[in-house]
Amino acid sequence: MNILHGIINEVVTSDHLSLVRVDIDTSLLSAIVIDTPESCDYLKKGHAVQVIFKETEVVIGKGADHKNISLRNKLTGTIGSIEKGDLLSKISIITNVGPVVSIITTASVEQLRLSKGDVVTGMIKTNEVMLSSITTKTESA
Amino acid sequence: MIDIQFQKNLNGSSGKMLLDIDLKIVKGAFVSLYGPSGAGKTSILRMIAGLLAPDQGKLKVGGETWYDSAVKVSLSPQKRDVGMVFQDFALFPNLTVRGNLEYAKNKQSDGAIVGELIDLMDLGDLQDSQTTMLSGGQKQRVALARSIVQKPSVLLLDEPLSALDPSMRSKLQDYILKAHKVYDLTTIMVSHDVAEIFKMSDEVIMLDQGCVTKRGKPREVFANNEVSGKFQFTGEIVEIQHQGFLYIISILIGNDFVKVIGEKEEVKDLKVGERVMVASKAFNPIIKKLHV
Repeated sequence: MNILHGIINEVVTSDHLSLVRVDIDTSLLSAIVIDTPESCDYLKKGHAVQVIFKETEVVIGKGADHKNISLRNKLTGTIGSIEKGDLLSKISIITNVGPVVSIITTASVEQLRLSKGDVVTGMIKTNEVMLSSITTKTESA
Repeated sequence: MIDIQFQKNLNGSSGKMLLDIDLKIVKGAFVSLYGPSGAGKTSILRMIAGLLAPDQGKLKVGGETWYDSAVKVSLSPQKRDVGMVFQDFALFPNLTVRGNLEYAKNKQSDGAIVGELIDLMDLGDLQDSQTTMLSGGQKQRVALARSIVQKPSVLLLDEPLSALDPSMRSKLQDYILKAHKVYDLTTIMVSHDVAEIFKMSDEVIMLDQGCVTKRGKPREVFANNEVSGKFQFTGEIVEIQHQGFLYIISILIGNDFVKVIGEKEEVKDLKVGERVMVASKAFNPIIKKLHV
């Protein structure tokens, strides 16, 4: 899984759901969670969190410009490595927030003619992003 | 209000243990006691019922003192206004269903309650049967009805349904809830079944080594906020299969197997036999009704 560290910038709540925006360096990632600041004490601006998402949920777009797409979470970088399997391939993207791994079909890698050094954008649906509090660990450490 | 203060040295499965609790339970509440075996759950019920004497403490039910070590008051079990259903209940085998309920009724209480309970528990067709002829679920329904005949101030249930199959269990849970509401009972139930606790209780009290470790609404007490994923279970790894740069991890969760795709980094610290948390976003799973 991909784990990035960030700071909560904003929490927008509607009934039982919250949209959480997390600053990770200069990037902004959003997660939608079935929690509210009342049900979950770390959902507050300024709290340090881990942003967690599965490699298989990272969509790859070639290039840096992806405006006409519903995916909100976009991390642009260059391909550091590609490991090709028969059906699936693992792509490591070097982004400004650290390495992000994507697993897509090998057919897609070939169709997009992806190779090491290409500029790509890794995109993650907001509902595929999980959060985990890291304040307790750092506070107790 | 039930005001419970018990202290007792117990010989638990893991040696000596001091049970030390101080609980207030509001009238009409449905409270579950949850915790590992030997945590003191059954001892608490037995002390409320007067079947086990605390070393010291107090027990007041609706303002009436049932036990107070300071002034040496201890009502006998017969004088305590409790109904009880345990897993290994005993019905009178020589009496009919109705006979069992009639026998339990005290002389002052209203004669109509037996008929009322027979209706409430759907025992009409069985009321003239000998209890030896009944199935486990039917017997437990009679035991439950019998425990309520005297409209007790406190209903104590010690894993009353653990010997029953899931569908019978679910039906009995409905009967218990119905009786709890209709007779405005204050119910304390010991259960190991988290789903049962969620369905039935207003409040859950978690016990370990004779002490209360957590207390609150089931949703709060059982909430796991380690990661925000709401599709979350714990299980045991039974197999790790290699699949190119991926791994397929088979995990036993309860009686069900699930498979999870993992990447090298994720799998490198995992071994068969280890307990793990499995989490996903609540947005992914689909739900389909089962045809039974």
